[in-house]
Amino acid sequence: MSAAAWVRTPAFSIGLTVLAYWAALALHRRWRWVPPIVAACVPIVAALLLLREPYAEYNRGGDVLTWWLGPATVALAVPMYRNGLALRRSLPRLALMVLAGAVVGMATAGGTAWLLGAPRAVAMSAVPKSVTTPIAVEVSRELGGIPQITIALVILAGVLGATFGPALLRLAGVREDRAVGAAMGTASHGIGTASLVRRSEMQATVSSWAMAAAGVFTSLLAALLRLVAR
Amino acid sequence: MSTIFDFGRGLAIVVALYLLGTWLHRVGVPIPGGVLGLLLFYGALLAGVVKLAWVERAANLLLRHMVLLFVPLTVGLMELGKVLSRQALALTASLLVSFVAVLLTTGVLGRWLLPQAAESTEEEAGR
Repeated sequence: MSAAAWVRTPAFSIGLTVLAYWAALALHRRWRWVPPIVAACVPIVAALLLLREPYAEYNRGGDVLTWWLGPATVALAVPMYRNGLALRRSLPRLALMVLAGAVVGMATAGGTAWLLGAPRAVAMSAVPKSVTTPIAVEVSRELGGIPQITIALVILAGVLGATFGPALLRLAGVREDRAVGAAMGTASHGIGTASLVRRSEMQATVSSWAMAAAGVFTSLLAALLRLVAR
Repeated sequence: MSTIFDFGRGLAIVVALYLLGTWLHRVGVPIPGGVLGLLLFYGALLAGVVKLAWVERAANLLLRHMVLLFVPLTVGLMELGKVLSRQALALTASLLVSFVAVLLTTGVLGRWLLPQAAESTEEEAGR
C-alpha cells in the first residue's frame, strides 16, 4: 500500500485524532490555559493540509468517533440522576429557571443572527449554542443548521461562561449558590460547570444538573418549533 | 475482571438505549435519538430497573473524554472559512447577546425563586 492510500483509511483518521487528543491533554495538563479542543484540532488540520487530504476523506474515520456523541448524550442521564437526588426539593423551581433560560437562549441566538442577515442555515446553527455539544449537534442537524458552526459557538459559549459568568451574575445581584449553578449550566454547559468545581460544590452540582436539563428542554423545544413550522 | 464486566455491561446498556432512541426517532418521535435515550435511561434509573453502580463507570468514561468525540466535527471548520468570515458579525453578536440573555434570565429568575439559603458555600467577603 502506498503512503497516500494508507492515509485514506479510516484507521489513519481515528489514530491521528486519538493521538492529537492525547497530546492535547498532556499540553493542557502543563499549560492550563490551552483549551484541549483547540490543541487537538490544530495539528490535525495541519496534517490534512500538508498531506493534501480533503476533510471528507478524513471524516470517513472521523464519523466513527462522532457517532459516539450519541451514547455520550445518553450517558448524561447519570450525572442528571445523581445530582437530581441531591437537589430533590428545589428541582421544580430549578426546572422552571432552566426552561426559561433555554427558551430565551434559543430565541435570542437565532433571532440576533437572523436580524443581522445570516442565512437560515447559519441562524439555525446558532439556536442550540448554549447546550452541551452532543445535544447541540443533534438539534442543529434537526433544524437544518451546520453542526460544525454549532460546535464552534458551543465551545465559545462555554469559554465565555467560565471566564465572565460568575462576575456577571454577581453584578446582577445573583449570589445564591443554586441560582449561580443553574445559570452557568444553562448558559455554558460542561465548560461552565467544570469552572465551578473549585468554587463551590453546590454550584457545580446544580450546574451539572442544569446542563443536562437545558439540553433536554432545548431538544424538546426544537421539536415543538419544527412541528409548528410545518 | 469484575471491573471489565462492569464497564462492558454499562457500555452495552448505554449503547442499547441510544439505538432504541434512534429507532424511535426514525419511526416518528420528533426528539433526537440521543435525547430519547437519555430520557429512557433517566426513567430506568428512577424506576430502579437500571442500578447506578452498573453504569457509572462506562458513563463517566464517555463524559470525561467527550472532547475527543467532537474533534472530527470541529476539524470540519477548516472548510467553512468563507461562511465564517462572511457571517462573523452575525455569529459573534448572536453568541454574545444570547450568552448574556440566558445567564441573566436563569440567574435573575433564581434570585426571585430561591431564597438566599444558609447552604451557600462560597466565600463572600465584604457582603
